[in-house]
Amino acid sequence: MKTQWLLLSLVATASLARAGDDERKAWTILAEKIYTSTGRVIEKGMVQVNNGKIAQVTPSVEEGGAATELKVYAVTAGLIDASARLGVSLTSVEQSTEVQPHRRVAQAVDIFAPEFERVLAGGVTTVLVNPPDSNVIGGLGVALKTAGGDTLESRTVRADVALRGAIGSQPSGGNRPAFGRATDFFNRRPTTRMGVEWEWRKAFWDAAQVERDESKRFPGIERMQEALAGKLTVSIQAWTTQDIRTAVFLKEEMEREKLGSPRLVIDAAAEAWKEPQLLVRSKTGVVLPPFPALGRTGDGAFMAWNTAQLLHEKGVVVALSAHGAADLDERLAAQAGYAMRGGLSFEAALAAVTIHPARLFGLEERVGSLEVGKDADLVLWNGEPFEPTSRPIGVIVDGVLRVDPRPAPVD
Amino acid sequence: MFTILIASGLLAAAPERPLAIHADKARLADGKVLEDAWVVIEDGKISSVRSGGEAPEDSAVLRHTGWISSGLVALHAYAGTPRAELRDTTRTMLPEARIAWALDPARPEVADCLREGITSLLVTPARQSLVGGAGAVLKTAGGTIVSREAQLSLGFAAMSYVSNRYPTSFQAGLAELERLLEKPSGLLEKAKEGELPVLFEVSERSDVMRALAFAKQQELRGALSGAEWTGELAKSVKESGLSVVLPPIGLGEERRALRAVLSLAQEGVPFGFGLDAPLSHPASLRLAAALCVREGLAADQAWRALSSEAARIAGVEAQLGALAEGQQADVVLWSGDPLELTSSVQAVYVDGRRAYTAEGR
Repeated sequence: MKTQWLLLSLVATASLARAGDDERKAWTILAEKIYTSTGRVIEKGMVQVNNGKIAQVTPSVEEGGAATELKVYAVTAGLIDASARLGVSLTSVEQSTEVQPHRRVAQAVDIFAPEFERVLAGGVTTVLVNPPDSNVIGGLGVALKTAGGDTLESRTVRADVALRGAIGSQPSGGNRPAFGRATDFFNRRPTTRMGVEWEWRKAFWDAAQVERDESKRFPGIERMQEALAGKLTVSIQAWTTQDIRTAVFLKEEMEREKLGSPRLVIDAAAEAWKEPQLLVRSKTGVVLPPFPALGRTGDGAFMAWNTAQLLHEKGVVVALSAHGAADLDERLAAQAGYAMRGGLSFEAALAAVTIHPARLFGLEERVGSLEVGKDADLVLWNGEPFEPTSRPIGVIVDGVLRVDPRPAPVD
Repeated sequence: MFTILIASGLLAAAPERPLAIHADKARLADGKVLEDAWVVIEDGKISSVRSGGEAPEDSAVLRHTGWISSGLVALHAYAGTPRAELRDTTRTMLPEARIAWALDPARPEVADCLREGITSLLVTPARQSLVGGAGAVLKTAGGTIVSREAQLSLGFAAMSYVSNRYPTSFQAGLAELERLLEKPSGLLEKAKEGELPVLFEVSERSDVMRALAFAKQQELRGALSGAEWTGELAKSVKESGLSVVLPPIGLGEERRALRAVLSLAQEGVPFGFGLDAPLSHPASLRLAAALCVREGLAADQAWRALSSEAARIAGVEAQLGALAEGQQADVVLWSGDPLELTSSVQAVYVDGRRAYTAEGR
C-alpha cells in the first residue's frame, strides 16, 4: 500500500515517468457531479477508467473502499487549450521563407518543457501547438497530450491538425526592404499587412492553378490544395477586425471563384464581437485569446468580457484558450470563469474548453467529452468547475493518475 | 615512485629491448583490478599483461610503487586546434570537413591532457553546425593521428542553428539532413552504410528525442553527445542501440545529472566521458568519473567509460583503450587507484615511449 502511494506520487511529480501499461490502472471516480460535455449532467455517479479509456459512466454510486477509488466533488473531461503556445522556441520558426505549408511544428516542440506539467496541474490534458506566427503560413500544427511517454508519437493525439498561418502585423515584423542596406535574410516582403494578405492569396491561387501551370509550384503546395479542398483545417491568427475580415474574405473569395472551400478557424479572434455575422455566414469557428485584464490583446485588438457569450448566442462555435498560461488567474479554467462572468452559461463555457476545440480540430473521436470509449482524460474538482473557489485537485491522462487528489500519507 | 633498475637511455632511443613494468596493481580494460602486475612493452605495443612471475629476460625492468593502467581516452575534445578552426562559419553543412586537417599536436593544451593521464583525444568539430564533419583521434604525445574519420557530427541542438541563415528551424534542419542522406556520398554515405558512426550533438531531452527518431528512421549508429539528462530517456536510448558521450561533469553538478548517468548504466547503455578541453580542465575527465562513482556508479563501469568504452565509441578499440596484449602501449603509472582523486599521474607512456614524468618537473 505504502509503495503504491509512493509510486503514485512519483508518477504525479516526475515528468520522466513513463506511462507503461502497468501504470494504466483501473480507477473508479465517485463524484457528486459528472459533467460530460454532451449536455448531460449526472448527479452522484461513478466514472470507471480502464486501460487508458473511459470504461463506464454510471448514475449511481457503490462505494467499495478500494485503493483505486477516488472520491471527489465533480469530474469533467480533460480540458483542451486550443491555442497553447508551449514547447516552442526560436528554433521552431523557419525564417528563410514566409510560406511553408509543409513544415511540421511537431518536429520542433520540446515535449519535456516544464510548462506542460504546469498546465497539466491546471486540468489541461490536450493542447494544440501551432507554428509560432512569425511566418505568413508557418506550417502544420499538432495536438498533444500534456503527459505521457518520452516520444512524440506517445504524446500525439493528432498530427497535422491544421494548416497554420497569420494575418496581421506579426508575420511582417522584422522584415525590411532591401533599399540602401546590406542584403540579408530579412530583406524581403512582406513588410505590411497588405503584403501578408497578398502572400496568402498568392499561395491559394497558385495551389488552385498548379495542375495547369507547373510554374506555380512551391514546396508544400499540396498542403494548400488540401486546405482548399476543405480536407485540412486552416487556422489563421487574426486579432483585429480588419484581419478577421481579411481571413473570412479570403475564404469567401476561394468559394466565389470556385477554387475550393477552406474550412476556417480564426485563432486569437479578439475583435470577433464587432462583426459576428461574418463568422456566422462563413461558418467559421473561433478560438478566443485569453481575456485581457485591461481590455487590449495582441495587435492592439480590444476584447470585451461578453465576447464569448455574444458569439455563442449568434451560433458561432467558440473555443477558449489560455495561450498555455498556467498561473491561477490566467489558466484555462480561469478563462472559462471569465467567459461566464461575461454572460456565458456554465455548459457553454465547459464546451468551449472541451468538446468545441475537439470538434474544431477533429479530435472528438478521442477527447473532448466524458463518454464511454474516449481517452480517459479527466479532471477531478473540489467544487463547481470554473468557480473562483474551486480548483482541479486531480488529473488523469490516458488512464494514468498524473495529479493525485488524495492527501499525501503521513508517516 | 618508480626506479629504473637497468638504466640507460634505452627508454627513449632503443625500442628493440622490451620494457617490463611491475606495479602493485593494474586497472584492466574491463575495470577489474590485477594484483602484482607485470606489463611488458615491446615495439610500441603491449606484449603481455599478467600477475606475478618475473620480468622476461633481456628486458629493461621498471618497478613502480602504485598502479598502472592504460591511458585515458577523452571524447568530445576541442584540444589540438584553435577554436576558430573547429567550424567553418560560412556554411552550416560541411559533410566532407575533416577536423584532422586542422590539428596541431604541438599546441600546449594537448600536453596538458597528457599530464592528466589522457593519451588519446577524440577531437570533435564545434557543435554550431548542422553537419560539422568528421572528428579525429589524436595521441597527446608524438602527434599520431590514430583515426581521421572517427565520427560524423550532426547538429540536433538549438545551438546547431543560426538565426539569420537557412535553416533556422528544427523542421527545416531535419528536412535538410533527410535530403542529404537520400543520395549520400563521401562521409555521409559511410555513415548511412554504418561504416562511420554518427555523433548526434544534443543538449535538451527533446533534442535526444529527435535524434533517436532520426537515427531510427535513417538506420544510423553512433552516439548522442552533450545532453546531461540523456539518462532520463535511458530506455529509449537502449532501444536505439546508440551510445552516449556525457558532457563534462564538474563539482557542483546537480545530482539530477549524476542520477541520469546511473540510469544509463542501469539500462546497459554504453557511455564515455566528453571533455570539451580546453574549455574545461583535462583533470575534469577523471573528476567526472569519480563523481559518478560517488553517486553510486560501479568503479569498473566508471573505468570502462574512461578507457575501453570511450575507445569503442571512437572506433579505435582494436588499437587502444585497454591494458591488454596487442594494444598500443599507452600506459599511465599512478600513485594509487586512478579512480581516486588523491592519486596522481607519475608517468605516461605513449606508443611505448615515455612522454611525461612527474619527476623533475
